[in-house]
Amino acid sequence: MRITDECVGCGHCKVFCPAGAIETCGVSRINDKCIECGKCKGYCAIGAITEEP
Amino acid sequence: MRVSIIGAGLGGLLAGAALSKEHDVDVYERLDIYGGRFTNLPYKGFQLTTGALHMIPQGPTGPLAELLKQVGAGVNIVRTDPMGCFMTKDNAQISFFNFRELLSSRAQARIPALMAKMLIPKKGTVSDMVWGDPEWLALSDSCCGWALSTLSVDTPAAEASGIIRHVIGGGPGKYNTPGVPMGGCGAVVDALAGVVEKNGGKIHLGSKVDSVLVEDGKAKGVAVDGEKRGADIVISDIGHRLTAGMYDARYLNPKYAGVLQKLRPSEGVKICLAAEEPLVGHPGVVFTPYTQRVNGMNEVTHIDPSLAPEGMHLTMTHQALRSGDVENEIKLGLQDIRNMFQGKKYSVLLVQTYRRDWPVNRIASGFDPGNLTPVKGLYVVGDGAKGRGYIEVEGVAAGVKNLLDALKARS
Repeated sequence: MRITDECVGCGHCKVFCPAGAIETCGVSRINDKCIECGKCKGYCAIGAITEEP
Repeated sequence: MRVSIIGAGLGGLLAGAALSKEHDVDVYERLDIYGGRFTNLPYKGFQLTTGALHMIPQGPTGPLAELLKQVGAGVNIVRTDPMGCFMTKDNAQISFFNFRELLSSRAQARIPALMAKMLIPKKGTVSDMVWGDPEWLALSDSCCGWALSTLSVDTPAAEASGIIRHVIGGGPGKYNTPGVPMGGCGAVVDALAGVVEKNGGKIHLGSKVDSVLVEDGKAKGVAVDGEKRGADIVISDIGHRLTAGMYDARYLNPKYAGVLQKLRPSEGVKICLAAEEPLVGHPGVVFTPYTQRVNGMNEVTHIDPSLAPEGMHLTMTHQALRSGDVENEIKLGLQDIRNMFQGKKYSVLLVQTYRRDWPVNRIASGFDPGNLTPVKGLYVVGDGAKGRGYIEVEGVAAGVKNLLDALKARS
């Protein structure tokens, strides 16, 4: 999973991430704990999360 | 009548709940949750939110409470006591109504003139209304920043005066002051979704509307995931600008397109704190005129303890975004929090930023262009089409009410 520059930092992905793999402060970043489950994508407020590398 | 609604935020759900009583309603929501920026986000035993701060600005007697009652959505809204406080330069709290204690005698002498100005709508901004006086600006910025996520210089005086008249509109001693919905924002949208479904309407989650179907200048439905869904009217809860991108540009008349060009959202930062001891000490709003960035905060767990783990409090601060350097804005907000709560036991749960297409208000208060679009049968609701003179979700409810009245008058 990858968060694009469109990210506004709403924090939804961090809250719904089952792996605790996201940090949010101004924008969100995915770290190497990501398990590629894709759950964050369905909650991203502005559609800024993509499965493309 | 078949009604398609784009977006299951508060505006879309209010319109859906009201119209589903007599019409066939389908609400399409892009996300996997409904509620937009007005629902709960469960996190570490707390009920954080997608946007709003678990508060209804005019409590159980405002337009939102009235519309909820009217559509049959059962929500218990408890008024906060105190209504609000100001935090002094020494991090002490005084009642909102004792604001004069914060002012020098020179600034206090301006109170009668300001009261007269506030009750009569004036041209210019709130900054003009307070003569650009730094002492008054500190107070008005904290109030505008908390309530509207705009600073005095960007807030029309007429809008502020409308808001004040609506808040004190209950008559002497009967103010329409803030309340907390029991169960938080989520309880409000759950109740509305329940009404839509009970009335036979449907909320489709994870369903992105690609376009609005228009024939001869009239809305004929929506296309969702490549499939055409016919409708007699389409209501959009995603603001005028994003809605305008959903139909052929030839329908955009130049005047409307020109208005859209000029409109700006209001943007802000919310910081959610897990408090092991009360930081505010009561459920009312605390306005913070003497910080670098934070405009105000609340601790609604004094009214609804279920929004935090047992024995803890959820404290939320809000600040208007003052520059494009978001990281620095957040840094200054966090510094304010450290300064205000020295020696207290708390931790930062989540920092949330509201900007661009996920803002505080899709259109800053006082600039809303109404429900109509250049396409017949296509209407906009939500925080991009608020009713004038109402704060945040009260404006959303007042805007939906305006649309419902217009639809009734038309039929």
